[in-house]
Amino acid sequence: MIRNYIKTAIRSLSKNKGFTAINVLGLSLGLAACLLIVFYVSDELGYDTYNKNIDNIYRVNTDVRFGGNEASYAVAPAPTAAALKTDFPEIEQAARFRVKGGFKVKKGNQNIQEDMMVYADPNIFDVFTLPMIYGNKANALKEPHTVVITERTAEKYFNSTNVVGRTLTFDDNTPYKVTGVIKNIPHQSHFNFDFFVAMPGLDESKEDMWFSNNFQTYILLKKGADADKLNAKLSSFMRHRAGPQLQSILHLTFDDFEKGGNYYRLNLTPLKKIHLYSNKLSEIDANGNIRYVYIFSAIAIFILLIACVNFMNLSTARSTNRAREVGVRKVLGSPRKYLIAQFLTESVIVTLAAAVIGLVMAWLFLAHFNQIAGKELTVTPQILGWLVPVLFAMVIIIGALAGSYPALFLSGFNPIEVLKGKLAAGFKGGRLRSFLVVFQFAISIFLIIGTLVIYNQLKYIQNRDLGYNRDHILLVKNVSTLGSSSQVFKQEIKQLTGVQNATLTSALPTGGFQSSTSFFKSPVPDQKNGILPQRWPIDADYIPTMGMKIISGRNFSDQMPTDSNSVIINETAARMLAFSNPVGAKMYEPEDNKMTRLKEYHIIGVVKDFNFKSLRENITPMFLMLEPNDGTLSIRFRSANIPALLAQVKNKWAQLSPNQEINYSFMDKDFDSIYRAEQRVGSIFMIFTTLAIIIACLGLFGLAAYATEQRTKEIGIRKVLGASLSTIIGMLSADFVKLVIIAICIASPVAWWAMNKWLQDFAYRANIQWWIVALAGAGAILIAFITISFQSIKAALANPVKSLRSE
Amino acid sequence: MIKITELQKYYRTEEVETIALNKLSIEVKEGEFVAIMGPSGCGKSTLLNILGLLDDPDGGSYLFNNIEVADFNERKRADLRKHNIGFVFQSFNLIDELTVFENVELPLIYTGVPSSERVGRVEKVLDKMQIMHRRNHYPQQLSGGQQQRVAVARAVVNNPKLILADEPTGNLDSSNGNEVMELLTDLNEQGTTIIMVTHSEHDARYSHRIIRLLDGQTVMENIMI
Ligand SMILES: Nc1ncnc2c1ncn2[C@@H]1O[C@H](COP(=O)(O)OP(=O)(O)OP(=O)(O)O)[C@@H](O)[C@H]1O
Ligand SMILES: [Mg+2]
Repeated sequence: MIRNYIKTAIRSLSKNKGFTAINVLGLSLGLAACLLIVFYVSDELGYDTYNKNIDNIYRVNTDVRFGGNEASYAVAPAPTAAALKTDFPEIEQAARFRVKGGFKVKKGNQNIQEDMMVYADPNIFDVFTLPMIYGNKANALKEPHTVVITERTAEKYFNSTNVVGRTLTFDDNTPYKVTGVIKNIPHQSHFNFDFFVAMPGLDESKEDMWFSNNFQTYILLKKGADADKLNAKLSSFMRHRAGPQLQSILHLTFDDFEKGGNYYRLNLTPLKKIHLYSNKLSEIDANGNIRYVYIFSAIAIFILLIACVNFMNLSTARSTNRAREVGVRKVLGSPRKYLIAQFLTESVIVTLAAAVIGLVMAWLFLAHFNQIAGKELTVTPQILGWLVPVLFAMVIIIGALAGSYPALFLSGFNPIEVLKGKLAAGFKGGRLRSFLVVFQFAISIFLIIGTLVIYNQLKYIQNRDLGYNRDHILLVKNVSTLGSSSQVFKQEIKQLTGVQNATLTSALPTGGFQSSTSFFKSPVPDQKNGILPQRWPIDADYIPTMGMKIISGRNFSDQMPTDSNSVIINETAARMLAFSNPVGAKMYEPEDNKMTRLKEYHIIGVVKDFNFKSLRENITPMFLMLEPNDGTLSIRFRSANIPALLAQVKNKWAQLSPNQEINYSFMDKDFDSIYRAEQRVGSIFMIFTTLAIIIACLGLFGLAAYATEQRTKEIGIRKVLGASLSTIIGMLSADFVKLVIIAICIASPVAWWAMNKWLQDFAYRANIQWWIVALAGAGAILIAFITISFQSIKAALANPVKSLRSE
Repeated sequence: MIKITELQKYYRTEEVETIALNKLSIEVKEGEFVAIMGPSGCGKSTLLNILGLLDDPDGGSYLFNNIEVADFNERKRADLRKHNIGFVFQSFNLIDELTVFENVELPLIYTGVPSSERVGRVEKVLDKMQIMHRRNHYPQQLSGGQQQRVAVARAVVNNPKLILADEPTGNLDSSNGNEVMELLTDLNEQGTTIIMVTHSEHDARYSHRIIRLLDGQTVMENIMI
């Protein structure tokens, strides 16, 4: 019996090649899109799951409110880890990372800049599951000047992995002994270091300083310990531990500090939530965002729904043509269940074919998708292990769902009526079909609006006046490797023709430079007078090179010896400090951790606000100090001939540092990379929007073909009576265009609302304009119209004699 | 009014070529009522379609009101057709989704008659065809005879000079058939030229002249009056 069903099904499918092709293509595109998103989402959800103790690991965060600033850090003070372990018996391990930037590592006679480097406590391997291939993890990082490296790093420097006991030279002169080699860290990890340097070698890690937050601190709870209870207890931890230091610095009890509207407290983020839920200051790396996981999952479901709707629509539409067949079969005595089985077999065969094609498509697109999404997804046997059964179940479910309506609908007919042709009249309305078309287009329009809003926001970011000029700036990033020659390098570069100016500092508006300190308006520290600004070291060339504007006062000058006691503040700081005239006012900065001595600074200028964080955040107070910092040389150039300029710069570099590769980039490129996440979301949105529209149009194409087929007689009559080509095309398109317009009315407000929510993430945003919705609507109508036109023009051009003959 | 000379029409399918009209020559004067008869498949409908400018011939000449129309393109034919020719079919060919009134109104819409004028004209013909009381019904709610009267009403609403009827009584019983024939006769008496294909000798008797076709050629022309 089954074989008979399959035989009949294949025959009927190949008889209607066009419909079958549209069905299979639409569904396989939908499945392919859906699969890519499934890979993406499962990758995002799998972060840090390589840790055996993932459920018991927590990161300790610090929330601060002081001097009018509120911030949440992914780091804690240095003594926190040890103190937590002492205070709370439910904590089994507490270990710290300290990210201090990179080192130069010697390979042969070349120095390689390595940035994936971190100071780590010796017990870090008891917290995270980082299997050690060579070495003893219990005492690998106990001694200063020891380092644990990953397999690939060992290969890179020694062409071997068994390298315990060998030595690496950091920064040209310090030898570090390799005490362990661990497996490469899976890419699904919120940190991805290649060098774990022994924490005991870092003095800062032993200091008892409670108001300097620099250590990523992780705790491993004992089995059965309650993290919520611990979290609650943590709020009083700082009062008890940091309170005495507060007293000696600000001469303030913790109670008074809190009464002033301030707070300083710890809380916990579970390891499994770091990647998708945490976006604090001083994260090790840019994390993902659970919102995008939701958005993409929703898109996957929508696309799959659109594809299924097509399938259903086309099957029901086509099945009316088969009403006669059903009638005859029934008259001949076929029981209803055979008919149902027949229709279901057909739809399952189509779905199965689509699933196989979809899987192949997804696999083919994967490399390209990885590039766009910035991922390293691969199809591994493990993935196939769960994917194939899931896909198979989906085939059965989709096949059954899509096939059930025509199966039940048609098999339920009274055969006499079907044969008399009454069915055709009753079924033409196809209310369900109209509803489904509206649904499909509503989703497509939603996606179009979403894409437009994202791109509009990205364009807005590109064009916004940021208070500095990022174009025509070349950044040489490893100037610190020149050591004492860095100033020479700067002066020589400034002499080059085509170079306008150059400034030496790693504090860049496009870089992640962060350094904040408290300042006070009076020489006696008092929380009411305090401000917690960014404190950036710059030179006198900085403001002109960056194209920033002094709105009152003056810039630093190398001719003024007193400028080392001067500060330039930004507008926001000026506003918060509420000086009637900020220029000339004094500010005091604690010189030591205990805040016993304070240094006096004169405000000599106010710089126009410039964005130094992403536009997601508001501009915060900024203090610019005339202090040396030789991280990066920023070169403002005039010349249009960039290769020539680069050659000159490289030449100068080679003279000063023959063994060291120059590391450079352009400031506008760095700026763009801040928004790479948004750019990716935009691209992904665009791809899936296009797919959704293509699938919806495939369906519309099929439906239009069906509708015109149903109306050939009517079209013939109208032509005989004198209807023109355009009248007929208009008539055939009107029905569908009407549905698209309804879809616009439904989708626009929803998209408006949803995209406004997305825009809330940005402190600076381009609000949704009416033209975006209008453009999306007009686009959808146009696309639908063109799709339908293929059919309607064909029908309108056909000779009416033929259609009337077929009566 | 109509003069065709040596008109030819072929149908080519993959293997065979059917000659539907073989050098056929006919003339029809203004005000005539002509019946075309002949065995099934002899080319009657083909001839009527060409006369009605729905199809073009493969050879020969067709003068309509002394204008050569054999080589007219689709647009010119459509234009000539909608102002001059009305059609009545065996299977009525009413549009199921439109009411009686709307069906009859269609040709007026396509010739660009303003809507204020349309209502009056449609009501007048519906009245004449005695179908006024059914104006808001849909085709399926009418009997065959009533449907054909609507079709005739639709054919004449534009006051065409020529009505082409392909077996107008073919789907009707004799009394309904006679009614339709009376209608056509009335129209003819008021000056409309009528060319009608029929299988019924009875119906042919309403005409002035019978043209008999055999395999696409005229066999005999009977002049009745
Ligand atoms: N579209 C077509 N393709 C191929 N052959 C056709 C086509 N239309 C008509 N013919 C052939 O042309 C010949 C004339 O057909 P036509 O329809 O004019 O006959 P008829 O005289 O109207 O017949 P009936 O009395 O049965 O209506 C027939 O042999 C028919 O098979
Ligand atoms: Mg015929």
